[in-house]
Amino acid sequence: MLLALAFAVPWWACALTLFLLVFPLAAVAQVLGPLARTLWKIVLPFAIPILLIQGFFWGEGQVLFTLGPLSFYRAGLIFAAASIARIAMLGGCFLLLSMTTRVDMLMRALVERGLPSQALYLVVTTLQLVPRFQAQAHRIQDAQRTRGLETEGTLWRRAQALVPLIGPLLLASLMDVEERALALEARGFSRRGPRSSLVTLHDSAGQRWLRRFLWTLAVALILFRLFAWVTR
Amino acid sequence: MDRIRRDFTTVTLVMIPVAIAINIAVGQLVVALKLPLYLDSIGTILVAVLAGPLAGLVTGVLANLIWTLTGLAPFAAAFAIVAGIIGLMAGLFAGWGWFRRLWLWLLAGVLTGIVAALVSAPISAYLFGGVMGSGQDFLVAFFRATGASVMQATFGQGIVADPLDKLVSFLLVWLTLRALPKRFLQRFPRVENVTGRPE
Repeated sequence: MLLALAFAVPWWACALTLFLLVFPLAAVAQVLGPLARTLWKIVLPFAIPILLIQGFFWGEGQVLFTLGPLSFYRAGLIFAAASIARIAMLGGCFLLLSMTTRVDMLMRALVERGLPSQALYLVVTTLQLVPRFQAQAHRIQDAQRTRGLETEGTLWRRAQALVPLIGPLLLASLMDVEERALALEARGFSRRGPRSSLVTLHDSAGQRWLRRFLWTLAVALILFRLFAWVTR
Repeated sequence: MDRIRRDFTTVTLVMIPVAIAINIAVGQLVVALKLPLYLDSIGTILVAVLAGPLAGLVTGVLANLIWTLTGLAPFAAAFAIVAGIIGLMAGLFAGWGWFRRLWLWLLAGVLTGIVAALVSAPISAYLFGGVMGSGQDFLVAFFRATGASVMQATFGQGIVADPLDKLVSFLLVWLTLRALPKRFLQRFPRVENVTGRPE
């Protein structure tokens, strides 16, 4: 819960310094290993094309080195490095959030702060549905391949596979909707008033103070950036 | 206000998680097929047609936020506003009766794609330097090589890719809704968008 609000901050702050904050926090939460591995996998496919594209196609300024007909520009390298740092920082924060926060706790906290309880249903149900749908998509893929559907080959052939793969998934899942709606209605889903919850939250004084501090910091940073931008 | 309450029925609220799961599942299917499309807003468009623009907006924004929460796509939350606008526009077009004529509906898809490109270009230019780590990066490289700025190159990539993507998405939604029985569609608050008969 704390972390969720903490990440309102680093967006506007200098990318690298806060990136150095994420790893210690992850270490405290004992997710440093998986976090670093996932982050590496996410950042790498961005980093290489950014470096190549911005480096070689910047088009002006100091040339660092030349490779055949292409020149690698210094300004492009700097721009690419800044982008990569920003991506890594952002990715690190999001990963830390999703690895340390239980979604049901987060949603419970939000409902206690005045979010309608239907929103709680939306988010929690979606998180349960996603893996089921992914499994079903795989099943459909296998089933259609068994019937001789080509899912590899030329672009046109792969495009042709789209409808037989997506069609069954869409139709089956939509037909499911009605049944769920009836089941929910039968259990008093749309009634008004407060509900009791299975999840209880612990919010210590320290957490409350840190949260207030982070909010103030975030607002201050935004104002600072706005001020710097206006007076530039 | 009254219209909003009528749009957010239990069926709509049940439909939204299903739609988000559709977005994610179909989006990954397309990646598996290695097609130069995203198709990650089909569920959002479905909700928009059946339950109105506001429900579409909510679905789009929630879809991207949840995508981030699951850890599958950490940067999706940054584009939540784009997904929301797609849902909103699809709902508005459907409300104007564009769904009932296929060519108008496909035009709606192209228009939505253009707006999506306009809105997402500054986000991806600022956050990622315009590179998405996908097959379409070569387009960004191409535009950069012709002397465009980062912003222009990113928009150039979007304006090529997004309208086509939304055209196909809108077409798939159209085909799906035509295949569903009327008895089922009758459950949704904006059924007249599809069948043409006002309540």
